[in-house]
Amino acid sequence: MGERDISRRAEHLTSVPGPDPAPDAAALLLDVSRGDEKAFGKLYDLVAPRVYGLIRRVLRDPAQSEEVAQEVLLEVWRSATRFDPGKGSATAWIFTIAHRRAVDRVRAEQSAADRTARVGAATIDMPFDSVTDEVAARLERQQVRHCLDELTELQRQAVILAYYQGNTYPQVADLLRTPLPTIKSRMRDGLARLRDCLAVGAAA
Amino acid sequence: MSADVHSLIGAYALDAIDDLERAAVDRHLRDCHDCRAEIAELREVAARLADGAWSVPPPQLRETVMAGIANTRQLPPEPAARPSATGPSRRMRLIAAAAALVAAAGTGSVVYAVQDHRVDQQRQLTEAAQASEARTRAVLAAPDLVVREQPLTSGGRVTVASSRLRDAGVIMLAASDAPADGRVYQLWTIRGGTPSSAGALHEGQSVIVQIVDGLPSSSEVGVTLEPAPGSATPTAPLEALVKLI
Repeated sequence: MGERDISRRAEHLTSVPGPDPAPDAAALLLDVSRGDEKAFGKLYDLVAPRVYGLIRRVLRDPAQSEEVAQEVLLEVWRSATRFDPGKGSATAWIFTIAHRRAVDRVRAEQSAADRTARVGAATIDMPFDSVTDEVAARLERQQVRHCLDELTELQRQAVILAYYQGNTYPQVADLLRTPLPTIKSRMRDGLARLRDCLAVGAAA
Repeated sequence: MSADVHSLIGAYALDAIDDLERAAVDRHLRDCHDCRAEIAELREVAARLADGAWSVPPPQLRETVMAGIANTRQLPPEPAARPSATGPSRRMRLIAAAAALVAAAGTGSVVYAVQDHRVDQQRQLTEAAQASEARTRAVLAAPDLVVREQPLTSGGRVTVASSRLRDAGVIMLAASDAPADGRVYQLWTIRGGTPSSAGALHEGQSVIVQIVDGLPSSSEVGVTLEPAPGSATPTAPLEALVKLI
């Protein structure tokens, strides 16, 4: 499958914080910023599984995830003109939008009415088991997973509970029964350690 | 305070902070070159975590998105100049009003927020307003924007700005007071005579900027006072009804 080849290639080319992890993404985004719909199709194939996967990981509910992924991808099209390669990689730009949107949705939901919708969501979730398995298998091979394992337990949990589950740091502190300042520090030094590990992996 | 803000850098990169704190960090970043570099670096790392979340998107998503871009105008290359509060046109005033709602939500609370105090009501208000700020600005900048306003029976007003080009609209509710007795303001869009919820405010909340996709295909926007946390269909008389056609 073409997508898989591309994403795996991107993995090996990645260096953090080096040049664009996927040079393709930056080039495509440039074409997209000039209104190139074909380039957007290619960019979609390159990033959509990660955009959708990330949102799904945070939100869980497949229908909601699809909706947010759609918003995010349209936003990428709409504001491709605002991407500044000098400020970071194309993929980081895209996944930052995706993550922010997913988290915004979580926060809105946490304070909103519909608790029942979330119970329902857990039921709808089931048919995706096969997908989940595939993702899990993929994860095993991935460098980022390896590097997460290199973190201390507290760093790893702080990063995962925040990034993949959309918790705020006070919520993470509650969940881990750890003082706030400690959590803030673990997030920061956890990311720094992750950065070093990912950079080494890319050089290898 | 600077030290406090600085300690939030990791949480900031993980989107694990609320909007007040984010605003405080953003402000700090403007003056701190080293912090900007560190944030950019940590953001790159955080984004790599998306690699670990690979999942097959539903097949119809591609089709929907590709169809969507065909109908979506791209932003002009340079960021639009920040609208001034004294702008002459109605739209400028409107953007300023939306910005003011957002700003008012944040004012004065930042110091407390970064000291780990939760100012719940204000935080919720800011979240609601800021989450949609960028998209709100985009809709409000649409060339075909139509703006309508109605007073609320209970005091205050509701403003509806909608754009067919963007196929979206923004509802701005600014009530004079937050409702009492466990009731909340709820927004409705009415299409073919059927109301559907466009979001309910929290208890104690009196201001919201809500972006609504597909708003131009609705005939009216209604506002009611519902028992918290909102209702599935309107149960109370209308506080305001804004006709869109």
